[in-house]
Amino acid sequence: MEAILWFGWFRADIIVEYAMLFWHGLQMTVTVTVICIVQGTALGLAIGLARLAEARHAPARQLCQYALRWPSTIYVSFFRGTPLFVQILLIHFAVLPLFINPSDGLLVSGELARNLKQNYGAFLSGVLALTLNAGAYISEIFRAGIQSIDRGQIEASRSLGLSFSRTMYHVVLPQAFRRMLPPLGNNAIALLKDSSLISAIGLAELAYAARTVAGAYSRYWEPYLTISLMYWLMTLGLAYGIKKLEARYGRGDTR
Amino acid sequence: MNVLNRPLLALALFALALGNVQAQNKELIVGSSATYRPFAYETPSKEIVGYDVDIIKAVAQKAGLQIKIVNTPWTGIFAALNNGDVDLVISGVTINDKRKQSYDFTVPYFEARQLIAVHQASTVKSLKDLAGKKVGVVTGSTGDDIASREFGKTNTDIRRFESTPVVISELVGSGVDAAIGDNGVIAFRVQEHKQLKTVSDANFPKEYFGIVVKQGNKALRDKLNTGLAAIKADGSYAQIYKKWFQAEAPALPAQ
Repeated sequence: MEAILWFGWFRADIIVEYAMLFWHGLQMTVTVTVICIVQGTALGLAIGLARLAEARHAPARQLCQYALRWPSTIYVSFFRGTPLFVQILLIHFAVLPLFINPSDGLLVSGELARNLKQNYGAFLSGVLALTLNAGAYISEIFRAGIQSIDRGQIEASRSLGLSFSRTMYHVVLPQAFRRMLPPLGNNAIALLKDSSLISAIGLAELAYAARTVAGAYSRYWEPYLTISLMYWLMTLGLAYGIKKLEARYGRGDTR
Repeated sequence: MNVLNRPLLALALFALALGNVQAQNKELIVGSSATYRPFAYETPSKEIVGYDVDIIKAVAQKAGLQIKIVNTPWTGIFAALNNGDVDLVISGVTINDKRKQSYDFTVPYFEARQLIAVHQASTVKSLKDLAGKKVGVVTGSTGDDIASREFGKTNTDIRRFESTPVVISELVGSGVDAAIGDNGVIAFRVQEHKQLKTVSDANFPKEYFGIVVKQGNKALRDKLNTGLAAIKADGSYAQIYKKWFQAEAPALPAQ
């Protein structure tokens, strides 16, 4: 009885009417998330290493401190210390127009800038903001992961004649990566959910689709419950994938 | 089960009793989205002012109602009315048949028409010329309705945003080719930006703004209508109109 009433009240027809918007939205959410996970991880590794850069003698010592450690520390502090939502608005309405602008863009201007902004403006800003933000968080994961490897291993490897980069690549990172997988997984899930914030600048992803339907019909259960389920399924999928990865790379640890 | 239910029941009864007492002479909560200058906007001191605000204050005074204006985001404004967070909405809401099915409106208090905003160099003359171009609108607004009807609800050329200032920012930054919105707001925003101009399409129908109450709340609607009639009769309506639009108030239909 209750189930019947519930379905009578839940107007699935309005979701069906906007099905294409939800479908495109889903694709957009997945695209943004995948791009940002890949770019954010690469950026995070670079920033994480920069924060650990050390050298014994001048001028490399000063170079590491002023050109690598300080800027990367300020970067991480800023992107972790300000709301992602604010970063998205700042990048879309202030930073991007500085570089891509039909009248006087520093990077691109003229007709190309117009086309770029109209077709990919919100996408570019959203991906940029989310990547920069994720990079800051992921760099901390890398830093902690690398620092968790016993220093003696690095010393041993260096004294065997391996260069710093080879030590990192062959000795430290493989072990650190195993420990970093769980927090990296958490981060990927957070990124997927955070991508919904980009709807504020008009990127047609999942949350945008739901808002459009809510705006058109003044009905809120149907669209928001629909996308909640979609996000939930995707995060479940991600969590499953990460679990598999952990099992795969964690084999050496189990005895 | 019983143990769980009893306190809840008591609480519900208590809330009901409280509600009855308050209903005698309670302050009515007015929802208005304060991103709609000159209809409703926030001053730096967080005070909500505008044409809508002056109207509802005058109406409430004539009808002997106690009111409190609460800034409510546009996308959630009808939900706020549905679940009782606000008792009435005055937020430049266009009276239309679709909305009439779910809510009750007072008689009109403003005559509106949709207006297109474009860059000075644009050759757009009418709504039809916007086919294939990117059009910015506020989610769920009359402009959204018109664009959705003309170009298709799931057309990705329609870019939906939270508020008019964001739509205009996007237009100024060339993220969209045009914006569609209520004349009062669009005209106000365009005069702030020299690079923009307005285009009026004679095919856009005349529309009216009304104050919205929950469906079936006849008592409140009648009081508001009485108040509206009173301010129209004693000239304070014309005064408020002139204050915000620097023009004589047009004659409004009685229904």
